[in-house]
Amino acid sequence: MKRLFLTALLTAGLALPLCAQQVEVQEYVLDNGLTLLMVPRKGDPNVAAGWVAKVGSVNERPGITGLSHVFEHMMFKGTHAIGTRNIAEDLRLMEQIDAVAAELRKEQLAQIDRLRLGEISDLKDPKNRTARHTELLARMAELNRRQKELIVKNEFDRIYTSAGASGMNAGTAEDFTIYFINVPANKLELWFWMESDRLLNPVFREFYAEKDVVHEERRLRVESTPTGKFQEEFNALFWTASPYKWPVIGWPSDLDGLSREEAAAYFEMNYAPNNLAACLVGDFDVNEAKVLAERYFGRLKRHPQQVPPVRTREIPQEAEKRMLAWAETTPEVEIRYHTVADGHADDAALTVLGSLMSGRTGRLYKSVVLDQQLANNAGAGQRSMKWQGFFSMSGTAKPGHTPEEVEQALYKELEKLQQEKVGERELQKVKNQFAAGNFRRLQSNFALMLQLLLAENNRGWQSFNEDPKKIEAVTAEDIQRIAIQYFKPENRAVAIYYTKKSETTEEDPLFEGLNDQQKAQLRQFRAMLPQMSVEQARQVLQQIETQGAAAPPEMRPLMERMKKLLEEKIKNDGGAL
Amino acid sequence: MRRATIVVALACLLAGTVLSFAQQAQLQKQAQVPAHPNELQYKPLEYTPPQAAKHRQVMANGVVGYFVEDHELPLVNIAVTIRVGSYLDPAGKQGLASAVGSQMRAGGTAGYKAEEYDEEADFLAAAISSSIGSTSGGASVNFLTKDTDKALELFFEMLRRPAFQQNRLDLYKSQVIQQLERRNDRTDAIEAREWGRLIYGDEHFTNRLPTRDSVSSITREDMAAFHAQHYHPGNFIFAVSGDFKTAELKAKLERAMADWPKPPGAAAAVPKPTQTPVPGVYMVHKADVNQARVSLGHRGILRGNPDEFAVDMMNDILGGSGFTSRIMNRVRSDEGLAYSAGSGFSAGIYYEGQFRAAFQSKSSTAAQATQIVLDEIERIRNEKVSQEELDTVRTSAVETLSQLFSSASAVAGTFAADEFTGREAGYWDKYRDRIRAVTLDDVQRVARKYLHPENLVILAVGNVDDIQKGDPDKPEYSFQKISKGKVTRIPLPDPATMAYPKP
Repeated sequence: MKRLFLTALLTAGLALPLCAQQVEVQEYVLDNGLTLLMVPRKGDPNVAAGWVAKVGSVNERPGITGLSHVFEHMMFKGTHAIGTRNIAEDLRLMEQIDAVAAELRKEQLAQIDRLRLGEISDLKDPKNRTARHTELLARMAELNRRQKELIVKNEFDRIYTSAGASGMNAGTAEDFTIYFINVPANKLELWFWMESDRLLNPVFREFYAEKDVVHEERRLRVESTPTGKFQEEFNALFWTASPYKWPVIGWPSDLDGLSREEAAAYFEMNYAPNNLAACLVGDFDVNEAKVLAERYFGRLKRHPQQVPPVRTREIPQEAEKRMLAWAETTPEVEIRYHTVADGHADDAALTVLGSLMSGRTGRLYKSVVLDQQLANNAGAGQRSMKWQGFFSMSGTAKPGHTPEEVEQALYKELEKLQQEKVGERELQKVKNQFAAGNFRRLQSNFALMLQLLLAENNRGWQSFNEDPKKIEAVTAEDIQRIAIQYFKPENRAVAIYYTKKSETTEEDPLFEGLNDQQKAQLRQFRAMLPQMSVEQARQVLQQIETQGAAAPPEMRPLMERMKKLLEEKIKNDGGAL
Repeated sequence: MRRATIVVALACLLAGTVLSFAQQAQLQKQAQVPAHPNELQYKPLEYTPPQAAKHRQVMANGVVGYFVEDHELPLVNIAVTIRVGSYLDPAGKQGLASAVGSQMRAGGTAGYKAEEYDEEADFLAAAISSSIGSTSGGASVNFLTKDTDKALELFFEMLRRPAFQQNRLDLYKSQVIQQLERRNDRTDAIEAREWGRLIYGDEHFTNRLPTRDSVSSITREDMAAFHAQHYHPGNFIFAVSGDFKTAELKAKLERAMADWPKPPGAAAAVPKPTQTPVPGVYMVHKADVNQARVSLGHRGILRGNPDEFAVDMMNDILGGSGFTSRIMNRVRSDEGLAYSAGSGFSAGIYYEGQFRAAFQSKSSTAAQATQIVLDEIERIRNEKVSQEELDTVRTSAVETLSQLFSSASAVAGTFAADEFTGREAGYWDKYRDRIRAVTLDDVQRVARKYLHPENLVILAVGNVDDIQKGDPDKPEYSFQKISKGKVTRIPLPDPATMAYPKP
């Protein structure tokens, strides 16, 4: 099978577990600054190939949030050579599309003014458009139609697929944008051709139409899931100053406003070769790869400036923040503390601390789930991003308990870590898991390629080999020190999720046979129930029962339903009827 | 040009090579870059799939294992597939098989209390798992070579002597009931559930879902009896890969399974669905979402059908190959109506698989996207696909075969799964020729034979009011038209009892 050059220090036993296996990465830097990382590995006749642009949502600013991600979509739209039957005509049409888009933007801005003043309430409603707006939309549709006739659809994908390449995809995160694929061993040159061409001659076709796709992606991931919107809101609450506060997919209003000119400017700076790193893992010849890198990526022009570091750092948090949400989900709590960025001196200890808390033998499961039986699930972990980081703990309340009880129990576990050093065996157990993980993470060429690129993105690929030693060096004193240093009430934000009853549907048997007024009354009544104590519920139930006989017949169905709701409440809240 | 930075240990050794290489590269830089990738020339790539027989071993007790050695990393992986499944759940005890699968790992063993077992496994950093799905069970262990004996001991304790400790079972039941009570929260979960009911019918075991009562009723005795009945070597197939010597590890497995009797009786066959899907448009209302999830389809084919490969290519062109397929091209790339859109056409092992196209689109444009998918189904039946389309999907299928065998664990796992499901011998040797043999005529013939527009079940989950209003800018598309006026509303069931309100 695969052969990978590893220097492994194999020592069994408790004191010195397996550690320090080094992956030999050959690094080759082109004149233009592009870094190529290579790990040749025989066996499987394929090459896992990818590259990373060191840019993500953290590099955006209000107004262009989501651009990194929109951009990732645009990178599949083709080039001068790929994706069109007539590039000259294609570019001409795109100029016209941009001109109409600029005119449309003026109309949208006028609409936004009317929205701001409360004259309209829905930007998408055709009734709120001027005649000119409607005409511009028709012109845009016509231009899009004409461009579509020229477009060779998804040719970029088709060329790869018909060459036997697979798994082509890309991803955008706060700190990076990554593009990857698996190519048969004899098609390495195709990868260099395709990737360098889309960096050299990209054409951002269908820029405005693609935003519709991104809106669908946003609906899919955020807006139409029970907790997506709340998670987005909690993240925005947690960060005060840092650009990590906006979602990677962007705010919807920014998505609507983005222009192709903004995308082009963004590309020029962030996709210059001096901001890129590529990686190959698999069955290839290193010298051949270097020649191809020179021939293909060597064509890219270095940008005179480096991408500026993110200027806005988070300010120290001075008071606890809380978010209370009613969602269609189990009752849950998430607690986040501001901690440190990837590679910080305390990063390894915080990572180890997360593992001490998590898993089947972690402290949270043993204490909060098994012993105290307050939660049905609980976990914790450090998330280290390039510029900042946080430690997160979460738990799902067991029926009969509240998220707040789980929250308090999680704090208790942190206090124990502050008061007492962790035991030697407990710490060693976690280190053993990291040590085994250091082998497991090398099993797949594809996963290794991704990990090396992510390491290179933040601190250089060498950190992939160096970090295991830092984990191994963490002491019980370190754990206690960081627990005291970071886990302070004023340094945290807390999200509490209560379970919201599903929105009623007209199929709900509860509402069957009621008139509209009665339905509204019943809805209102039901909304009041959570605030009612069991004792109050009993009293109301009694009133209904005594008055029921005297009520007019058309009111009886409504009263029956109210009784049913009250009985359910009393039963669920643990009271006897 | 900068000198390449090599890991320090090797830098001195390689420096000479790097410099001479650098000059060479400068020269090559001038070489012609072709104007289009079609002009690139490739060396031939010979690939022969591994042979099952080379890795197949029959152990002393008659149990089959596929052993694939790979000494690159000091890791061993053992995966067992078990002939068991939730299709064996007794009436009223839905959820029993899943509970057994989960609690074998979580509930301790005769030799170890659950807490001790977990500590031992975690200290070794051995990843041990167990689960039971609808038609098979799985158990696996991944460990460092140096821990072989201890890891095997723990693994076989779990497989053979699970204790189903009461406090772990109580926790498990609480977790499962809490989750099942939330099964109307997510539209993706609702869609998957209702789609299964529409295609295979309420009576089919895949749609007899656990309820609060059925899960509450599960006892340790139920679990122990279920385990004793189905977990014995006669029901196992092993896939073993990694850093070991086959003869040695095989002997250890044989010792671990010695004197493990087979209980009387054989497992029942996996039941086939008895109901026929009723074509039509169905909708489930979920008020506070702005995107509809839509599925369209019908029953598929059985594995071993001589048209399996042609059907596969036909579906790849229609919607099965991502951005190169028609549904993705039309629904996403042309119209911007969805983020993901595509189709699958599965060949079932025990009963007919299914054809299913699916996408998610904002409520107002769900009808338009549905119409596009319907048009594409008609088009692939009525017109021959292009040579280029067929070439693309055939080459892709042929050239990606090696990925099925990309690692030792993939080789062992693929062969074990093939034997478990009774796949014909030599299947992968003939695979590429069978794909290459699919013609343009075949694609149209199987599209006409196996795609049935008149029998389609169409399911939309989302805000039904908004879905039915459609897009004010495109009144020509509507579910009113697609359904010819007849939409069947499916109410949400009581999540705890799975009782559906009467229509």
